[in-house]
Amino acid sequence: MSRATLQRLGVELPLLPITSVGSLPKPLELVAARARFARGALSQRELDELASEAILFWLQRQEELGLDVLVDGEMYRGDMVAYFATALDGMSLGGLVRSYGNRYYHKPVITGAVRWQQPITVGWWHFAQRHTRRPVKGIVTGPYTMMDWSFDEYYPSRRSACLALATELHKEVAALVHAGARIVQIDEPALSARPAELPLAIEANRILTAGLDAYFITHACFGAFDTIYPGLLQLPTDNLDLAISQSAVDWLAVFRRDPFDKDLSVGVLDVHTHAVETVADVRARIRRSLDLVRPEALWVGPDCGLKTRTVDEATAKLRVMVEAVTAARGELPASASK
Amino acid sequence: MDLRLANHSSYPRIGPSSHEQRLRRAHAARERDEIDDTALLVIEHSVMTEIIGEQTAAGLDLATDGQVRWADPVSHLMAQLSGVRLNGLLRLFDTNFYYRQPVVTARLTRARSQLVTDYRHAQSATEIPVKPVLTGPYTLARLSLIEPRAYRRYHELAEDLSVIIAHEVRDLVAAGATIVQLDEPAICTGPPEDIRLLRRLFEPIYDARGGAEIAIATYFTDSDPLYPQLNSVPADVVAVDLTTSTSLAETIADTGAAKTLALGVVDGRNTKLETPALVAEVLDRILRRYALDTVYLQPSCGLEFLPRDRAREKLKLLGAIRAAFLGGGES
Repeated sequence: MSRATLQRLGVELPLLPITSVGSLPKPLELVAARARFARGALSQRELDELASEAILFWLQRQEELGLDVLVDGEMYRGDMVAYFATALDGMSLGGLVRSYGNRYYHKPVITGAVRWQQPITVGWWHFAQRHTRRPVKGIVTGPYTMMDWSFDEYYPSRRSACLALATELHKEVAALVHAGARIVQIDEPALSARPAELPLAIEANRILTAGLDAYFITHACFGAFDTIYPGLLQLPTDNLDLAISQSAVDWLAVFRRDPFDKDLSVGVLDVHTHAVETVADVRARIRRSLDLVRPEALWVGPDCGLKTRTVDEATAKLRVMVEAVTAARGELPASASK
Repeated sequence: MDLRLANHSSYPRIGPSSHEQRLRRAHAARERDEIDDTALLVIEHSVMTEIIGEQTAAGLDLATDGQVRWADPVSHLMAQLSGVRLNGLLRLFDTNFYYRQPVVTARLTRARSQLVTDYRHAQSATEIPVKPVLTGPYTLARLSLIEPRAYRRYHELAEDLSVIIAHEVRDLVAAGATIVQLDEPAICTGPPEDIRLLRRLFEPIYDARGGAEIAIATYFTDSDPLYPQLNSVPADVVAVDLTTSTSLAETIADTGAAKTLALGVVDGRNTKLETPALVAEVLDRILRRYALDTVYLQPSCGLEFLPRDRAREKLKLLGAIRAAFLGGGES
C-alpha cells in the first residue's frame, strides 16, 4: 500500500494527512510587486526576495494551522501551465484567454521543439524544505495538461506534443527527486477532458515518472472522472486527488464495481466561493469520503489551489478543514492503523 | 453560389491593450460594489459595439454580439429561469473553460426575454445582420443537474427548455433577427438515439421562427456519424465543425446537403493559422455537388477560446479562404 511507500521514503504522517493542493493567495504586496515586475519597474532578484518572504509566511501559517504536508504556495508562479511554458524552450506565452467568469490566463503556444534546459522549481522547493521539518511537496504540471492547455503550432499531433513534453518534464521531476523531494504532485486537471485520450495521458505520465523513487500524487479537479474510471487506476501514481467530495456521482457505487486501489485525496473546500465552509459541512464531506476508502488511504485538502481567495479567506478555510479533520480523526475506530 | 462569411458565436471580450481590458476591470469593480449593474451594462455594450466593428472590418456578412454578457454558454440562459440554482464549476466539454453547472430544482418558468436587449443593441451597431446565438435545449438539459422533484429525466427538462427557447426565438424574430443559431454540441456526445429527441425539441423552435432561419450548430466532437441525421432536424441551416473531424468533409461531399451549410473552416481552438489554398481545396470537394444557393464560411466554434488578436486574424482568414476558393488569389 502507498503508506508503505511513504514509510520507506522516511515520511511519517498521521491518519487523514492534511495538505493544500498547491497555490495559495499571494499577499497584496507580492501581487503589486509582480505587476511592477511586469512593467519592468522591479528586478527579478527583488521579486524573488518578495516571493521568498511570502513562502516563509505561508510555511509558518500552514504549520500553525496544523497541515501535515506543506506547499510553497507557488508564490513565484502565475498560471500553472504558463509558468512551465515560459521556462521550457519551444514554448511561449500567447494572449489572454478566459477560463471562467472574469478569470483570464496567458495561454501558452508551442512554437518549436520543447526542451528542458535547467531545473525550474527545484530552487524554490529546496528553499521551502529548508525552512520546515514537515515534508514539502514538489509540484509539476503534467504533460497531458501542458499539451491540452496550450496552443500547438509545431507538433503534427496531440500525441507527439504530449510525449515530447513528458520526456522533457521528466527531467524536472527527476531534478526534484534528486534534490530530496519525497512527495511529488503532478497536476493533471485536463485528465478527463478527452476520455479517449486517457491511454495517452497514462503513457505520458509513465514517461514522466519512470525510474523515480517518490510518493506521487496526481491532482485533477473539476472533471468528469467517472468517464475515465477505472482506466484512471492505470496512472503511475500512489495517490489520486480527484476533488470528488461534492460530486453528484455516486462514487461509492463506482468503487464497489471497480475497487479503488490507490490512496485518495478528496477536496473538501470549494476554492471558488468566498464563503467559508462550516466545520460540520467539512466533517460531513470527510465522513462520506471515509465510506469510499479505508482511513489509511485517505488524504484531505481543498478541491484545488486556493490562489483565487484572499489570504484571510484561505486561512479561514484551511482552519475549518484542519478542525474538521481533527474531529474526524477522533471518530476513527481504534483499529485504524497509524 | 453565394459564399457568405459569418462569425460563429462567442468572441474574446478582452484584448492585449488596456482599452480592450476595460470589461475585465469593470467586472472586478462590480464584484467590489464600486459600480452598479447599469454602469457595467454600459461597458458591456460598448465592448459589444467594438467587436461588431471588428467583424465588419473583417468583411463578414453575418455578425454575432460575441456573447459578451454571457458568463458561460450554460449558466447565462439557465440562471435567468426560475427553478434553477447554480452549482460549482465544471469543465465545458473537452475545453479548459469552465461553466457553473445549473441545478434544476423545480419546473422551469421564463419570466421575460433573455436576449432581446442585447440583440437590439448589437443590431443597432451595424448594417450587416446580427445572428443571435443560444445554447440549444438538448445541450442545456444534458449539462444541468436535475433534482428528481423537478424532472424525472433530462428528456423532460429538454422538452420544457424547447418551449422556453421557442418563446425566446419568437421574441428575437419580432425584434428583427433574420437568423437564429442554436448550439447543440452535446448531441455528438449523447446516445445516438437522442437524435429523435433533438428532432422533437426543434419542432416548436422551428414553428416559432416566422420568416427567419434557424441554424443548428455542432462542434468540439466529430459530428460525422450524425451528419445525415442532422439534415433531418427541423432547421434551415446546419453548422458543422470541419476542423475536428478527419472524415466529415468527405461524408458531406459524398452525401450532399439537404440544408444550407455553415462550414467551420478555421479552427476556433488553435492559434495556428490555416492556409487558405488548402482549405479552398477541401471546400472545392465538399461543394462540388452542393445544389443550394448559400454557404456560410465561419469558425469551427466560438472564438472566445483564442486570444483577441488571433481571433481577429481568424476572421480575416475567412475572406482569404473565400477568395482562394473563388480563384481570387488572396491565398
